[in-house]
Amino acid sequence: MIRFILSDLRRMWAGALVVVLLVALAVALGVAVTLQERGLRLGSARAADKFDLIVGAAGGPTQLVLSSVFLQAAPLPLLPGETLQKLSSDPRVKWAAPIGFGDSVRDQPVVGTTTTLIAETAKGFADGRMFAQEDEAVAGAATDLAIGATVVPMHGLAGESTHQHADVRYRIVGKLKPTSTAWDRAILVPIQAVWHIHGLGEHDAHDEHDHHGFDADAALHEDWSDAELPGLPAILVKPKTIADAYKLRQDYRAAPTQAVFPAEVLTALYATMGDARAVLAAIAIGAQVLVAAALILVTVVHVGQRRRQIGALRAFGAPRGAVFALVWGELMALIGAGVALGYALGWGVSAALGAGFTAKNGVVLPVGFVPEDGIGVLALLGFAALLAAVPAWRAYAEPTVDALRA
Amino acid sequence: MLALSVADLSVAYPGLAEPALDVAALDLGAGGCLAVTGASGSGKSTLVNMLTGLARPSGGRVAWGGVEISALGEAARDRWRAANVGLVMQDFHLFPGLSAVENVLLPARLARAASVAVRTRAHELLAEVGLSRPEQPVETLSRGEMQRVAVARAVLREPGVIVADEPTASLDAASGAAVADLLLSLAARLGSTLVLVSHDPRLIGRASRRVTLAGGRIVSDEGAAR
Ligand SMILES: Nc1ncnc2c1ncn2[C@@H]1O[C@H](COP(=O)(O)OP(=O)(O)OP(=O)(O)O)[C@@H](O)[C@H]1O
Ligand SMILES: [Mg+2]
Repeated sequence: MIRFILSDLRRMWAGALVVVLLVALAVALGVAVTLQERGLRLGSARAADKFDLIVGAAGGPTQLVLSSVFLQAAPLPLLPGETLQKLSSDPRVKWAAPIGFGDSVRDQPVVGTTTTLIAETAKGFADGRMFAQEDEAVAGAATDLAIGATVVPMHGLAGESTHQHADVRYRIVGKLKPTSTAWDRAILVPIQAVWHIHGLGEHDAHDEHDHHGFDADAALHEDWSDAELPGLPAILVKPKTIADAYKLRQDYRAAPTQAVFPAEVLTALYATMGDARAVLAAIAIGAQVLVAAALILVTVVHVGQRRRQIGALRAFGAPRGAVFALVWGELMALIGAGVALGYALGWGVSAALGAGFTAKNGVVLPVGFVPEDGIGVLALLGFAALLAAVPAWRAYAEPTVDALRA
Repeated sequence: MLALSVADLSVAYPGLAEPALDVAALDLGAGGCLAVTGASGSGKSTLVNMLTGLARPSGGRVAWGGVEISALGEAARDRWRAANVGLVMQDFHLFPGLSAVENVLLPARLARAASVAVRTRAHELLAEVGLSRPEQPVETLSRGEMQRVAVARAVLREPGVIVADEPTASLDAASGAAVADLLLSLAARLGSTLVLVSHDPRLIGRASRRVTLAGGRIVSDEGAAR
C-alpha cells in the first residue's frame, strides 16, 4: 500500500510538488500574519513591562510612551525639574528616576538616567559595572560597544545628529544583559552628565565649584532634594502599590504635567490601530479561504488524474476500504506535508521579519506558537481529511467501466 | 464453479440506434468453458463488462450461481467481483511504477491476502507464462509480456470464474499456447467457469462451447447441447 502510494507519487512528482507548495504557501501566509500580530502585541507589552507610570510635561501621551519606552527619537516638551523632587519625596513612590534624551552615538540613543533606574529595570550586568562618575556609561546589550570603548555623543536625537560635543567622552564601564526592549540599543549615562554637557542645572548645590559644564571626574549625586533641577522630558515612577499608582496618576494628570500608564496607552494605541488590525484579520481570513480553495483544487485535480487508476483497482478486486485508504492516504500525505512546510515557512518568515524589527527598534517580537495553535492545525487537518474523503467516497458513484475509460 | 444464466440482456448506448448488445438467453454450467468470438465491434467486450459486473445492463439479467449481479449496486458488484472473478481486460490495466510481480500481487495485497504461499505462487505463475524477470517495471514490458502479467494476476487467487478478453491477442503461437494451457488447465483443476473472448482459432478451438456475436446478437452457438 505504502509502496503503491510512493510509486504513484514518484510518477507524478511534479504534480505532488505543486500540491505541497500550494498548500504550504497558503498555510504560511496565514501563519505569518497570526504570528506577526501576536509578536507585536506581546513584544510591546513586554517592552512596557517595567514602566509602571511615566510622568511628563502635558502633551500627547502616545509620544511620551513611544519616546520613553521605545526610545523613539522625537522632541518632548520639558516638565519642571521640581516635579522630580516632589515625586522622590512622595511617600507613595518607591523610586522615581529622570529620563533624559537628546544625544546619540551612531543612531544609538544616549539616555541620561540614574543608577536606580538601571538597577531596577535592567536584568543585571553581563559584564562590568554601573557608572560611578560623570564620564562613565553603561551600554545596552544590543549596542555595538564593548567595555573600555569610548564614545563621543552627538547632539541631536538618533538619526538627526547635528554636531559633536567636543571634549565630551564617555567610557563604557558596563554592559547589560538583554531585556528584549528598545533600551537594549541605548547607551545609558548619568543624567547629571547630560545636564552638564548642555549647561543645565547651573545652580546645582552640590556642584558649586564647577558648574561650567562636563567634568569627567565628578562624582555622581542622585539625591536632588535641595538642588535646583533643570526641565526634564520624562520621569519613570515606581509606585509602592497599585492603589498608589492610580492616585499618583490622578495627582499628576493636570497641566503642566501628565501621568500615563504605558500599558494602557499601548492598549489604546492598538484600539486606534483597529483598521490595520482589521486588514491583518482580513488577510488572515483571506489566507484561510485560499487554503480551503487550494485544498479543494488539489483534491479535485488529484482524483481526476487518478480516476482510471481507481477504476482499475476496483476492477481487479481491491476492497473498497483499501481504495478509499489509498486515495485518502495519499491526499492526506500531500496535504500534511504542505501544512507542515507551511507552518515552518510561516514561522521562518515571521522570525525573519521579527529579527529585522529587532535590529531596527531593539524590541524583540516573540515569534512562537501557543498551544491554541495546535487546535488550528487539527481543525485544518480535520477539514482536509473530510475534503479528501469526499472524492474517495465518490469514486463509487460511477460504474467501474466509466472510471476505466477516463 | 458458478453457473451463468443470462436472460433478455440488452445494452444500449446513447447515440446508437441498435443496442450494442442484445442477448435473449445464454446459459453455461458451473465449470463450463465458453469461447466468445465475433467481428470487431460486435459487442464482445460489452458482454464481458456485463458478465463481470463492471457495468450494469440497460435491461435483462445476469446471474452467477443464483446471484443476480445485474441487480446489485456499484460497491456490491465490486465486492462480488473481488470474491469470484479473475479478470483479464483487453487493455490490461496494469499499474505503472510497480514491477511485474508487484502487479500480480497488488489485488491480493490490498485485500490483505498476500501470504507467503500467495507470493510464491505469483512467482511460479510468472515463470509458467514465460516471464523471466519478475522485478522488471511493468511499463517497460512488451505488449505480449504485459498480457502474460495480466493473465497471472487474474488467476493468482484461484477464482471461481475466470473471464479473459483477448488473453492471447499479442502473443506468438508458442506463448499463446502456453497461456491457453495455463488458463484451461487451471480452470479444469479448480473447477472454475471459464469465459474466453478471442479471435484466435487455436484458443477458440479448445473451448467446449463456442458463441459467435454479430451486431450484439448471438448468431451461432456451438456445443451447447453437450
Ligand atoms: N460507452 C460507449 N458508448 C457508445 N458506444 C459504445 C460504448 N462502448 C462500446 N460502444 C459500441 O458498442 C459496440 C461494441 O463494442 P465492444 O467494445 O463490445 O466491441 P468488441 O466486440 O469488443 O470489439 P473488439 O474486437 O474490437 O474489441 C461498438 O460498436 C462500440 O462502438
Ligand atoms: Mg473488445
